[in-house]
Amino acid sequence: MDGVPAANAYGDSSAVVIELTNVGKTYRSLLGNSVKAVEEFSLRVADGEIFGIAGPNGAGKTTLIAMLLGYLRPTTGTVEIDGLPARTYVERQGIGYLSELININPKWRADTALVRFATLAGIPESHVPARVDEVIELLGLGEHREKKVKALSKGNLQRLGLAQALLRDERLLVLDEPTHGLDPVWTQRFRDIVGDLRRADRTIIIASHNLDELQRVADRVGIIDHGRLQRVVSTGYDNEQIAATRFRIVLANGHERMLEVFPGAEAVGRGEYGVTVRSIEELNSLLADLIGGGALIASVMPERSVLEQQFREAVGETK
Amino acid sequence: MNRGRLAKYSLWQFRDFVMDKGIAIVIIGALMGFLQLLPLRLSASPLPPELVTRLVTTLARTLVLIWVFIALNGIISTDRKMGYYRFLFAKPVSPVRYYAQLYFIHLVGLLAALLLLSTAFFVFAGSFSVWNLVMYTTLIYVAMGGIGFFLSAATTHDWVALAAVWLGSGVLRAIFGNGTGWRGTAVELLPPVHKVDGVATSLISAGTAPLNDVVWLAAYGALFFLLGLLVVHRRPLAA
Repeated sequence: MDGVPAANAYGDSSAVVIELTNVGKTYRSLLGNSVKAVEEFSLRVADGEIFGIAGPNGAGKTTLIAMLLGYLRPTTGTVEIDGLPARTYVERQGIGYLSELININPKWRADTALVRFATLAGIPESHVPARVDEVIELLGLGEHREKKVKALSKGNLQRLGLAQALLRDERLLVLDEPTHGLDPVWTQRFRDIVGDLRRADRTIIIASHNLDELQRVADRVGIIDHGRLQRVVSTGYDNEQIAATRFRIVLANGHERMLEVFPGAEAVGRGEYGVTVRSIEELNSLLADLIGGGALIASVMPERSVLEQQFREAVGETK
Repeated sequence: MNRGRLAKYSLWQFRDFVMDKGIAIVIIGALMGFLQLLPLRLSASPLPPELVTRLVTTLARTLVLIWVFIALNGIISTDRKMGYYRFLFAKPVSPVRYYAQLYFIHLVGLLAALLLLSTAFFVFAGSFSVWNLVMYTTLIYVAMGGIGFFLSAATTHDWVALAAVWLGSGVLRAIFGNGTGWRGTAVELLPPVHKVDGVATSLISAGTAPLNDVVWLAAYGALFFLLGLLVVHRRPLAA
């Protein structure tokens, strides 16, 4: 399936939480030079959705998120959350926000920084110590809790940033490059945490360069380039997407059966084959034939995720 | 609706003031005070009350300006420059209320430092009116601090801007202060730095000062404080 054209990039309008309408942002210098960071950007994100934002460097992701939090005012158009101007919503309800750069005063201690943010977030005083302990445990910061922020490694600082975003039971979470600086173990842990956060009345926005990560956790992904929403991609697989997807099958044995079942298969490595099918049904049927013929399949995976293919098309990097 | 517990957060703001500015204010005050006091203590003991009052007045004229300068430096601009606003104001908090509270917390912190130093000075030098000193410090904080608050909201190089405005006003008044026409009128609109010395002498030594001067200083600073709040409200945090 091709990505939905930007002009119609609207989610389920029955439960819209975030609505951007013809949003544009132009930066002007004192000398009169101007740069359009975001142009004619329209999008709706629904309750319960995990929405990804992907784009190359300088595509406008950070500007878009700054407008979503009301930290920047759009030059044109409107940004609304729950029917309110973005800044008004944030000042009334708060947002669980993780910025790309973790800007916490380096002189603060990790645990007291969380106590401060919990206080500002409006967590009842009697619950603050327990809640801080919970997020410290969740993010594995126990041994670092008494360290000054400036003494934390990049990965631990990232986890501290995530911890402060998760302090309160927020209805809206905005996570900008959430796995930046995390090791593979904590990258996986992050995915589990986001999975646990999924709730019918919670919306999560994740901006990331990591398409694999977005493919795994997001329901839809908006691909941005040159400040414009190029397309919105559903990350699930259906037959239309399957027809455009090349799969890689790895066999443990039964190689002789491979070309009989998949005549067009191309050997791409030791025991690895690249195949193209027309539908999910055909893929499963042929795999059943392969297994029935005595082959042992080690793995089946798309060579490129739906998102990766769409991304390459949208930003002009075709295969 | 969740407004956050800004009042409770004031304790953290006070703690930050003590750690980031309060200690520096006390050290500078102690060093300058005892540098002035020491020669007098060696030559005469106890010091005559009028000499103590004159000494306190002389010290306060310089010190209070420096203290206010330190207290207001970066009060808003640091959060913008360092990006601290990103996490602070993703919470259900109004930046206008946050910074208005911070302005008053810094005044409380400054007065606490003043009381600490005054007590020490009182012990080593002799009696003088601490209350008069508190009134003068509060007035200068409102007058100069209001302008500093506005500049911190509007610019990123607020300490340079405040120094330029405060010292520049003094220079321009010295040059054009007695002029007529538009220059004379324009100079009247500049910060009333020329009234500070007179107010300092009368307020610290006698506890009174010309009402017009006090009102003009306080109103000027208060107006800029309100303009600063307006800038915080209107100017996007990431701008």
